[in-house]
Amino acid sequence: MKRALIITLNEVKLYLQDKGDLAFGLLLPILTFALMFGAFGGDTLFTADATIVNEDTGVYSQQLIQQIDDVDGVTVKLLSAEEADAKLDRSDILLALYISSDFSDTLMAGEPAQLTFKQRGNGGTGGQILASIIRGVAEQINQQFQVYNGVKVAVADYNIPDGTIQVVVLSVVEGEQQQPTVGVTEEITGGSSEFINQYLPGIITMYVLFSLSLSAMTIVEERKRGTLERLLTTRLSVGELFFGKFISIIARGFIQTLILLLLSYAVFQMFTPLSFLACLVVSIVFTAAAAAIGMIIASISRTESAANWIAIVVTMFMVMVGNTFFQSAPGSAMETISKFSINTYANEAYTALITQSGSLGDTWFQLVILMGVAVVGLIISRLIFRAVPGGNK
Amino acid sequence: MADDFVVVKDLHKSFKDFKAVNGVSFTIAKGEVFGLLGPNGAGKTTTIRMLSTVLEADSGDITIGGYSVKKNAEAVRTLIGVCPQELALYEDLSALDNMVFFGHMSGLEGKAAHDQAMKNLKLMGLEDRAKGKIAKYSGGMKRRINLAVALMGNPKLLFLDEPTVGIDPQSRNNIFENIKALQKQGLTVLYTTHYMEEADRLCQRVAVMDGGKIIAMDTPYNLKKKIGPPDKTTLEDVFLNLTGRSLRD
Repeated sequence: MKRALIITLNEVKLYLQDKGDLAFGLLLPILTFALMFGAFGGDTLFTADATIVNEDTGVYSQQLIQQIDDVDGVTVKLLSAEEADAKLDRSDILLALYISSDFSDTLMAGEPAQLTFKQRGNGGTGGQILASIIRGVAEQINQQFQVYNGVKVAVADYNIPDGTIQVVVLSVVEGEQQQPTVGVTEEITGGSSEFINQYLPGIITMYVLFSLSLSAMTIVEERKRGTLERLLTTRLSVGELFFGKFISIIARGFIQTLILLLLSYAVFQMFTPLSFLACLVVSIVFTAAAAAIGMIIASISRTESAANWIAIVVTMFMVMVGNTFFQSAPGSAMETISKFSINTYANEAYTALITQSGSLGDTWFQLVILMGVAVVGLIISRLIFRAVPGGNK
Repeated sequence: MADDFVVVKDLHKSFKDFKAVNGVSFTIAKGEVFGLLGPNGAGKTTTIRMLSTVLEADSGDITIGGYSVKKNAEAVRTLIGVCPQELALYEDLSALDNMVFFGHMSGLEGKAAHDQAMKNLKLMGLEDRAKGKIAKYSGGMKRRINLAVALMGNPKLLFLDEPTVGIDPQSRNNIFENIKALQKQGLTVLYTTHYMEEADRLCQRVAVMDGGKIIAMDTPYNLKKKIGPPDKTTLEDVFLNLTGRSLRD
């Protein structure tokens, strides 16, 4: 055991000596994180230009436009009907709101008024969201008028001026909007359905699979240096050699994953302290499973090129069938195949912790499978190494 | 013989259809420097790999220090040190780190590994460069470190597989002197080389291998005497006489 740890320390020393490898290994998670941040982070609010053709000169259309403009992320662009039509024809815009010239007068008369959307196709995702926002604003104005008309009818016998009724109704409606009678509070306890939460498990599992390639190369590198044969003539056993290498790969893979998780924790605030620790535990076990598979590749490979190619094929298989970014359909052949990828179990575990706010206890099945792969993989790699020429010990 | 530290009997090893070692038998006495000579592909390195427990023999027996290589390889490994033909070092680490690491692998603990590493570095005249990276060393210095690493753990039997290939006369002389000094301390050495004058100078006995077999085995003097006056005949004459002048792969 002591010699195994010395092998691990030697590997760490060699890793620290290779400045290029070290920089790459530590910068890669930061780079991955920067890409994640670019894709999912920063300003996550919806932003869009609301193209409006206002043919009304009354006060209510101005009120509607002002309320739309007050919505976070929405900027109103006023165009003439000709300009808007031309832009829609050219697909410069996908959706425009048309306010007819009688909009305010109709409302003043206490009659229902119509707004018109013109759109290309379905208006695009942004257009649909914008339409939904405008409908919400129109709904507010609608409610305000319904209350106003109701109150006006109810107090008709008291000779209260219209202006007074309008002011009181507006004040009540605004008060209701600011402090609703039935409020809804959102409480985030670690998991949420945002994109980053959806994709982080897949990114981590892909990342951890680098350990598989590192592991696959480790024995070939010793062979290439000539040090493998020398080590085999010392008191070091194959078991100690493999275990020492195995631990060093886990340490190296874990440090890289730790950087990725820490940055996610700090910037996206997507973990609770407990879910963060649980993710670290899953990362260690998953790295061990990946490293053990890499050790099997290492024990059968005679050249760097062979180890590299086998590792690439195995990694691609793991990622492609392992539900990394898309779930396979329940009951499908792909779901059955996915059971042969360690990514499947790691993804399930990470998803339970990150997306579904689960605890480590919810991932026990996946952890047992991954630990099993790690132990069996290490034993198999040792047996293969002993069975092939040159590994006799 | 009771004094025989290494006993090899009827050793065979094939790689597919190629018979690399074909019935090799020899003994090496304790404290003897035994030379294994032969052209390329004669089976010298394969023989050393089997003796050093790296490669399993197809048949035959090898006993080192009373332990069977087949049945008790772990005990054999406590007795041997190997200086391979190719450099087997971590080039990104310092000489001291390399030696301490292999010292630990050879059973030395903490400070003992460090102390012996420094002693061996001094022996090789490299104590001033102990902390220099191997990658920055010259070819001769690397060869000397390659030998120094083989001495870590105080082996009783040292395998030297062409330890002086491609180095300067000063480094070669340093290696010679060290081998002689170690022999005086009781170290047994199996030495392979293409340089006949080296074998003549160092070895008490030599075996000439060709085609996987030992075709002659005796003291350099006796071998020379068989083909001419010993004082006018070189071991190279003996070698060429035995193995022929045709080029080998």
